[in-house]
Amino acid sequence: MLENFSFRTIVEYLPLFGQGLVTTVWLSALSFLGALAVGIVLCAMNLQRGWLFRAPAKAYIDAVRATPLLAQLYFLYFGLPRLGFVLPELVVGILALSLNSGAYVAEIIRAGILSIPRGQVEASVASGMTYVQRMRLVILPQAFKVTIPPLLGQAIVLVKDSALLSLISVAELTRAGQLLASDRFMPAEGFLTIAAFYLLLYYGLKGLAALSGRWLGTAGART
Amino acid sequence: MTANPKGPANMTKTGMIDFRGVNKWFGALNVLKDITLSVEPREVVVVCGPSGSGKSTLIRCVNGLEAIKDGDLVVDGQRLGDPATNMTQLRTEIGFVFQSFNLYPHKTALENVTLAPIHVRKIPRTEAEKAGRELLAKVGLADKVNAYPAQLSGGQQQRVAIARCLGMRPKIMLFDEPTSALDPEMISEVLDVMVAVAEEGMTMMVVTHEMGFARKVAQRVVFMDAGAIVESGTPDEFFSHPRTDRSRAFLSKILRH
Repeated sequence: MLENFSFRTIVEYLPLFGQGLVTTVWLSALSFLGALAVGIVLCAMNLQRGWLFRAPAKAYIDAVRATPLLAQLYFLYFGLPRLGFVLPELVVGILALSLNSGAYVAEIIRAGILSIPRGQVEASVASGMTYVQRMRLVILPQAFKVTIPPLLGQAIVLVKDSALLSLISVAELTRAGQLLASDRFMPAEGFLTIAAFYLLLYYGLKGLAALSGRWLGTAGART
Repeated sequence: MTANPKGPANMTKTGMIDFRGVNKWFGALNVLKDITLSVEPREVVVVCGPSGSGKSTLIRCVNGLEAIKDGDLVVDGQRLGDPATNMTQLRTEIGFVFQSFNLYPHKTALENVTLAPIHVRKIPRTEAEKAGRELLAKVGLADKVNAYPAQLSGGQQQRVAIARCLGMRPKIMLFDEPTSALDPEMISEVLDVMVAVAEEGMTMMVVTHEMGFARKVAQRVVFMDAGAIVESGTPDEFFSHPRTDRSRAFLSKILRH
């Protein structure tokens, strides 16, 4: 079986894989930025006292977490044009990943904020800080540190989820594997190669997580 | 701002902190029962009593960390819960020292002290830092200005917390069991700082069982049990001649060792 494995074809297709990899990286990066924006807004809504903002945020988060990403992707891809929004596949893909990941990011940030001890809120309230001052000066800087590792975990998930965009013909990494599989009838070569590239991306992000951990560990550790 | 029509509290001469018939419930539990207590400017009042007697709740009401249910609570001439009272503004005049210090772990000792003065009081940074260094020196921590809370002992952290309050130049200081979380050998270093603050004429309410402190600086000791003020008197009256069975029982427990 192994003698049939064609490294030569993989090498031949490397430029295609390279392009796919680059696309996966930048569309994931863009989607993650989008997810951060969506997540921060959702989390801010979710932390309000009144139900007016909370209820829609909670409903959105539940809806995203309860349904498959593929269904959400198809909903946007096939649904938006019917509502009159015709967008390029790539834009739809980034939108879907941002909106999906944003729900998880919102919960990660919320958990980070809620993990800050009550005494921190009380100390800042007692010193006469407003809500905004207390968030900006006391709560968020501390929450930021605890959210970095789970946020990078979410980034890893997002990179893998971006493979689904191959189904709406975005020319990303998985799409490159599919092309090799179908053009030359070599699914083993195609999918094993993209797996290797995803592994590479995974180690890259993990390295980033370790670096940020070391950087954040330098000052202000809790007792 | 006009005088509050509801109570005579704002018009008659009042203390710095005035409880008038204050009640508070946690669910069905009446944690503060008809509290009437007036703390004069520059007065030091020690509040003691068994666990769960409502003493922490009492002082947490003064800066609005807990809301009162009925009665009047007037602090520095402003009635709490009145729409005309700016609570955020009033809190800048009231320092609060917590049992668990609650220093900001991501800030150095100096930054802990200067954070609120810079951002709330809008004091220029250089000026706030100069004052902050002086305050840290005053509490005996001149060499710890750049230390993070995690690098300080409990006693040192609590002294930073006191300096943090003083940095706001408050009119009132509230202490909620400031030495209860400390190792015995660190208690006196914190009490010494509190004595110094009291001797400078600060209006203070102190929840503590440190009887030495009470005898030294308190004008009055208030004994609470089950949400009510049971007894109130000078430290000498209270410690030497407790008038009620409950205060006698309490004192026999804390003075036994």
